[in-house]
Amino acid sequence: MNIDAFKPKFFATSTKGENAELLVDLNSEYRDRRKDAVKRVIANMTVGKDVSSLFPQVVKNMQTEDLEMKKLVYLYLMNYAKSNPDLVILAVNTFVKDTDHVNPLIRALAIRTMGCIRVDKILDHLCEPLRKCLQDDNPYVRKTAALCVAKLWDLDQERALENGFVTILQDLISDSTPMVVANAVTALAEMQESSANKDVFVVNVAIMNKMLAALNECTEWGQIAILTSLADYKPLDSKEAENICERVIPRLQHANGSVVLSAIRILMIFLRYIKSEEFTKSLIKKMSPPLVSLLASAPEVQYVSLRNINLILQKRPDILQNDVRVFFCKYNDPPYVKREKLEIMIKLCNDKNIDQILSELKEYASEVDVDFVRKSVRAIGRCAIIIDEASERCVNVLLDLINTKVNYVVQEAIIVIKDIFRKYPKRYEAIIPTLCQNLDSLDEPEARGSLIWIIGEYAERIENADELIENFLETFLEENSQVQLQLLTATVKLFLKKPSQSQEIVHRVLQTATQEIDNPDTRDRAYVYWRLLSTDPQAAKAVVLSEKPPISVESSSNKISPALMDELITNISTLASVYHKPPTAFMGNRAYGADAVRKAAVADARDEEQIMGEDSPVAPGGAGVSVEAPKSSMTDLLDLDFGSSEPAYSSPPMSGGGQMSSNGAPNYNADLFDMSSDMSSSGGVFGGMAGMNGMGFTQSQPQQGVMSPTNNQFGDLGGLGGMNFGQSAGGQQQQQQTQAPKQQSAAVNDLLDLF
Amino acid sequence: MGSIFSRIVAYWGDKEVRILILGLDGAGKTTILYRLQVGEVVTTIPTIGFNVETVQYNKIKFQVWDLGGQTSIRPYWRCYYANTDAVIYVVDSVDRDRVSTAKEELMAMLDEEELKDAALLVFANKQDMAGAMTAAEVSDALGLSTLMNRQWSIHKTSAVKGEGLTEGLDWLINIMQK
Repeated sequence: MNIDAFKPKFFATSTKGENAELLVDLNSEYRDRRKDAVKRVIANMTVGKDVSSLFPQVVKNMQTEDLEMKKLVYLYLMNYAKSNPDLVILAVNTFVKDTDHVNPLIRALAIRTMGCIRVDKILDHLCEPLRKCLQDDNPYVRKTAALCVAKLWDLDQERALENGFVTILQDLISDSTPMVVANAVTALAEMQESSANKDVFVVNVAIMNKMLAALNECTEWGQIAILTSLADYKPLDSKEAENICERVIPRLQHANGSVVLSAIRILMIFLRYIKSEEFTKSLIKKMSPPLVSLLASAPEVQYVSLRNINLILQKRPDILQNDVRVFFCKYNDPPYVKREKLEIMIKLCNDKNIDQILSELKEYASEVDVDFVRKSVRAIGRCAIIIDEASERCVNVLLDLINTKVNYVVQEAIIVIKDIFRKYPKRYEAIIPTLCQNLDSLDEPEARGSLIWIIGEYAERIENADELIENFLETFLEENSQVQLQLLTATVKLFLKKPSQSQEIVHRVLQTATQEIDNPDTRDRAYVYWRLLSTDPQAAKAVVLSEKPPISVESSSNKISPALMDELITNISTLASVYHKPPTAFMGNRAYGADAVRKAAVADARDEEQIMGEDSPVAPGGAGVSVEAPKSSMTDLLDLDFGSSEPAYSSPPMSGGGQMSSNGAPNYNADLFDMSSDMSSSGGVFGGMAGMNGMGFTQSQPQQGVMSPTNNQFGDLGGLGGMNFGQSAGGQQQQQQTQAPKQQSAAVNDLLDLF
Repeated sequence: MGSIFSRIVAYWGDKEVRILILGLDGAGKTTILYRLQVGEVVTTIPTIGFNVETVQYNKIKFQVWDLGGQTSIRPYWRCYYANTDAVIYVVDSVDRDRVSTAKEELMAMLDEEELKDAALLVFANKQDMAGAMTAAEVSDALGLSTLMNRQWSIHKTSAVKGEGLTEGLDWLINIMQK
């Protein structure tokens, strides 16, 4: 009995939720109770509870003289109008009344909220109030209404055009109040982006002049909007561009970093049109101080500024020439700021300030942040490569650093010295012994590889080169593939330079590499070397010891192409200039939401794959080396293989002379045998495979005659079965051609077996 | 002590008598509302949604809700029924064609549980125009005589001229004070 008596009570309390209580309170006869209820509804809304079911009751409280209450209800409306599109109609009359209210704040509030309610059904009712507000006496109402047009445009372009709102908005650019002008510009610029004909907002002379007139009086947001739109203007001549620049220059003094950067952007863009050298010079001079003062802001702003300065410097290297000290790192700079500052220091270094920079970099190299220390050491190396005269000083600093015996400093220094050797061959051989002393402390693949490369390159100057190599070879099989490749090349170089001492070593290395290593990259390179050596040592010398082009500072990866540069300069002070990527690379097609961007990214990735797919058959045919390695895996490689078989067996007859006919070939040689700057070379997999197909066949054809002697010389060529030496040795020209497909398929199978 | 007393007074004093003005579109609801509130004829536009005004009459504060009468808005009338003390139903006496629609809407409304205690005051509006039905005719057309358990009354009015409105309100006050 007792339990039964309790039951209904229990159920009654569970069905009655908070919303039910609120519903009663919202309908209360007492004003303060209703207000309280609305406040609770908003509170619930902000913590994410669903109060959308209270919509009609909340809307009932909309018509009130109580401003606080009105604002709360408006807030609610903006949030839940979408979930109750039918009921929004109940609010229309109140909106219309509020846009007629004596208080301009309420008029603006009403039109702003109406614009934010993105429900088609009320668009009909929006137009009249909007027209009224656009012509309101109060500028605050007009500027709010201006933005509302853009919102309407976003939902229904035709309606915005039919009602003449676009024209009214264009007229607002001539408004007497700068803040109205700024908002009209903002709205029009946004509408322009999504308009089909791109004729909504074309900046002409008249508009440009009005925008410039309003510029100085606007809020910072308005200034940014105007400056952004100004960038679209194409000046008629150099004189006009100068005039515009003159009027924008005062904006450089603004306290807001974004305004300053936007102004810089305008100046950088209009500099293109200015012919007067003198003016250009003075303009660049004027741009420096504001850029410097940006570095006094918060670290995040500094980062953005530094990324932009990086671009500006690449375009106009003469800027900031005397300000390198500003870019010296402070001990408490966050790592990302330090990194960018280093970049800029390197860009700014010249023979006058190099000593200053070097001592600074040396200082950094003794800091505790390992990553930063490494970057500093690298920076020293880059300075050496940029400034010829200072290279010696740089090398000395590096030697000092090596003498500190701090493990990671030494390793990094050796990597850097390798680059210096590549830039200035044969100049600093004297330091090799010092480097070799540190042989045992090297445990990173890149550092080991670098030192091995140096040993191989200067084998003839190093008396105990064979011992050193031997030393490394003890752990050959355990090494990282990158080090293995270097060892392989260095050993071959050693052999070519000192054949007497190292015949045994090279034989052993090639044998190990071809028989015991599963990495196709290493194995195939060993095959290629072996074959070169066994067929024609002179040719091997020509290929392996060929002159390598000196490296330049910004090795391919960092260099921004001129076209991209121009685009990035146009986008200064936007995300593009921070990423150093064109907006199309990270923005979906007019996609502002996170979802859309993600979708666009997926689509981009698909496009890229397609491009890779189209490229791959071309690659092995000859010019393939410059193609970047696909980052993804197996499937790509397999695709590539099948693709490659086609051009590969049609190419031998064409490249009859034993030289690759395509332009890509010399490059290819240099790249394969040289130490490419990205030694980590996942690219090697690609390049190496391509190389196998190309090399194997071009070589085999003209040198059939030499083939049999070599066969005798090396008894153990059985390992090369995959390459079909035997077949091609006996073959005639014709036979060769018919066999080619077979060989190829054998080779392909062989390669496939590896996976 | 005094503050507590005044707060109690304020509490009771703030209680509003809630009245709904309903009826088909164009019957003159908004005009009646503003005639009651400011005593003047204002130009109105079709009400998409609602108007609510506080009307002081004979020292009683009414919270008068005027809801839009268009077909699209009628379904939402029900959202406003809660805590309603009286309904003023406005009929366009000239519009003989739609008087049957007016009847249907009225009956559907009176069936609502939330309105079972509300008094019904019918205004046969637009009496200033030629060819207007009399109050008795409107009453017949709406079937008011068939209503059970309902206090109701019908008055002929002209919102434009301001005739008949006060009589209706007097009746309402009379009913509510009982």
